[in-house]
Amino acid sequence: MMIDVEIILLIPAAAALLSAVSPKGRAASVSVIGSAAVLIASIPMCIRAFEGTVTEYGMWYVDGLSSLFILIIGMIGVMSAMYSRGYLLRDKEEGEIGTGDIRQYHIMFNLFLATMLSVCVVSSVGVMWIAIEMTTLVSAFLVGFYRRNSALEAAWKYLMICSVGITLGLVGITLVYASSSHILGDDPGALNWPILFEAASGLDPVLIKMAFVFIIIGFGTKMGLVPMHTWLPDAHSQSPTPISAMLSAALLNCALYAILRFQMIAEATVPGFASALMIGFGILSLAVAGAFILISKDIKRMLAYSSIEHMGIITIGFGIGTPLAVFGALFHIIAHSVTKSLVFFSAGNVIQGYGTRDMDSVRGLGKSMPGTAFMLGAGTLAIVGLPPFSVFVGEITILSGAIGAGMYHIALLIAAFIVLVFAGFTRNIFSMMRGEPSGKIKAPRGILRMLPMTVLFLITLFLGLFMPEQMSDALWSIADWFTGAV
Amino acid sequence: MDAAISGNLIDLCVVAMLLLSMLAMTTTRIAQLLNAFAVQSLFLAFLAFVIADSTGHTELFIMGGITFAVKVIGIPWAMRNTAMRLHAGREIDSTMGIPGSLLVSATLIIVAYLVTEPLMATVDTIARNCLAMSMSVILIGLFMMVTRRKAMAEAVGLLIMENGLFLGVMSISYGMPLVVEMGIFFDVLMVAVIVGIFALRINKAFDSIDTSVLRRLKE
Repeated sequence: MMIDVEIILLIPAAAALLSAVSPKGRAASVSVIGSAAVLIASIPMCIRAFEGTVTEYGMWYVDGLSSLFILIIGMIGVMSAMYSRGYLLRDKEEGEIGTGDIRQYHIMFNLFLATMLSVCVVSSVGVMWIAIEMTTLVSAFLVGFYRRNSALEAAWKYLMICSVGITLGLVGITLVYASSSHILGDDPGALNWPILFEAASGLDPVLIKMAFVFIIIGFGTKMGLVPMHTWLPDAHSQSPTPISAMLSAALLNCALYAILRFQMIAEATVPGFASALMIGFGILSLAVAGAFILISKDIKRMLAYSSIEHMGIITIGFGIGTPLAVFGALFHIIAHSVTKSLVFFSAGNVIQGYGTRDMDSVRGLGKSMPGTAFMLGAGTLAIVGLPPFSVFVGEITILSGAIGAGMYHIALLIAAFIVLVFAGFTRNIFSMMRGEPSGKIKAPRGILRMLPMTVLFLITLFLGLFMPEQMSDALWSIADWFTGAV
Repeated sequence: MDAAISGNLIDLCVVAMLLLSMLAMTTTRIAQLLNAFAVQSLFLAFLAFVIADSTGHTELFIMGGITFAVKVIGIPWAMRNTAMRLHAGREIDSTMGIPGSLLVSATLIIVAYLVTEPLMATVDTIARNCLAMSMSVILIGLFMMVTRRKAMAEAVGLLIMENGLFLGVMSISYGMPLVVEMGIFFDVLMVAVIVGIFALRINKAFDSIDTSVLRRLKE
């Protein structure tokens, strides 16, 4: 009997239980060990999937595409769990939260991890919808964790906007089901993705077109596509920093994953329609996010807009739909997750050191916190897409994909907006480095803070310089399979 | 049951659901709003029974039963309790007056008919009309969420949207696979509970559940 999938879902669930009953101060270690165990447990299954063996039994379905997302969630989970420990301890010293809050945080953290993983392993798109809605419900508590008025506001908006969005997504799934149950009859598997995908060419084009519109609006809300993104900067800026990193680097990907599954179905039914929509939403997100990055004052809001920007770039990559562009988009997902968590973590250090998120009131970072300043500087250069970092490779591959597909105007637009983002980012971040530090600054310390940042920094640098053959093979096989369908 | 009778009963339920969402737009008190929602859910449950009986999709009996337990009894009861604890929140404020709201709702029904028109031809189940009606209920629920300023009323708007969705699911495909439907119900229940928790927290922090106080986060 296979229990591969059950194991990676049960570990975070067990970790949630354990952190509920663990002795004082141990909950953080439970999260670190739990998330590391998830990552390790999922590796064999994911490697098999990359080599072409799909894990499919019961209600589970794990192929290469799902494995990519599972590994990212696992890795970001470990890093955030490590970073959380020191971050929350500092909050406790400052008197912002109590011991009970820390325990509650870790319970929710592990549940959040479990819900995100379940999005990527289920076969039925209906169950996938349920899992995505559960991620919202669980993470709303994490967004509203500080219980300040502004955090409550962010959590409320997050809960309401994403619930509405996801309800519209369910309308889309209903339409897909209406169309598939037409062919497949009362088959209880009529919502299972592999069955849907096989039957895709025979589905009703009108229904599927309409369904995809609802799906990209619904799941796009969760993914932060403009104009449904309004919850995102609020939620990212108000939640504890490790959670901002999880939202940005893992949660948005889950919604993207769902959209990709439906894109494949829609493209098999009506070629061209879904991709055109994705390019449109991608460009719009890129443009609006670029404009907001220029005028941002709050560092975490700026990073949130940067997530919207990168989700836009990735969406465009998948929309272009040539193997090269899809390969670039897949790589960009990894690059963005790694780099964005690095920047969020260093921003978290700045926020706790200076006690503010306002970038204009932070000066002299180079002197007061040299380590953090280095990481923040490197992370900034990486996230705006400069070589030798991984985001550069992702962006340049998507650009060449666009040019290769003859979409010069799209390539031009992407390049122009990336320059805009570059200007905004560097101006805001590097002005914090200069000058003399003023006021009382309490630089955060601790190995568990620097370790995840160092690891993430090394990964983004390494992937920018050198692409391991296994990884490139795995990504190419997903890209070929994906575009073979599209 | 005779086909003609069941057809009439289905029409009755669907029309009643639409009218109840219009009624919900006109209410000014949270208790009335919850009543409107509960009765709407009652018609949804009844619709499930009628369709189950006339088409032989027996799992719809289960869905009807769950709808009755969760949406007709459970959620309205829990939300009424929350509303009682929030003494501040009995009146529903809206950014739009009742006549305006009704006018917009009527427009939304026309929009729903226009949008679903190309789909009508492709769906040949017993209740074609239901599709447009269900879209209308979804849009009206959405409209309620956008214009109401009390946390509880926004939540009811979401629940009305979900009622419309279930109406659509039943009418075009006789319900989704049972696992999925159960999961969705569980989700709906969780949404109601969590919204209640946050409404209490907001009330504590701002001394009001008027969500227009939630306007601070912006550039």
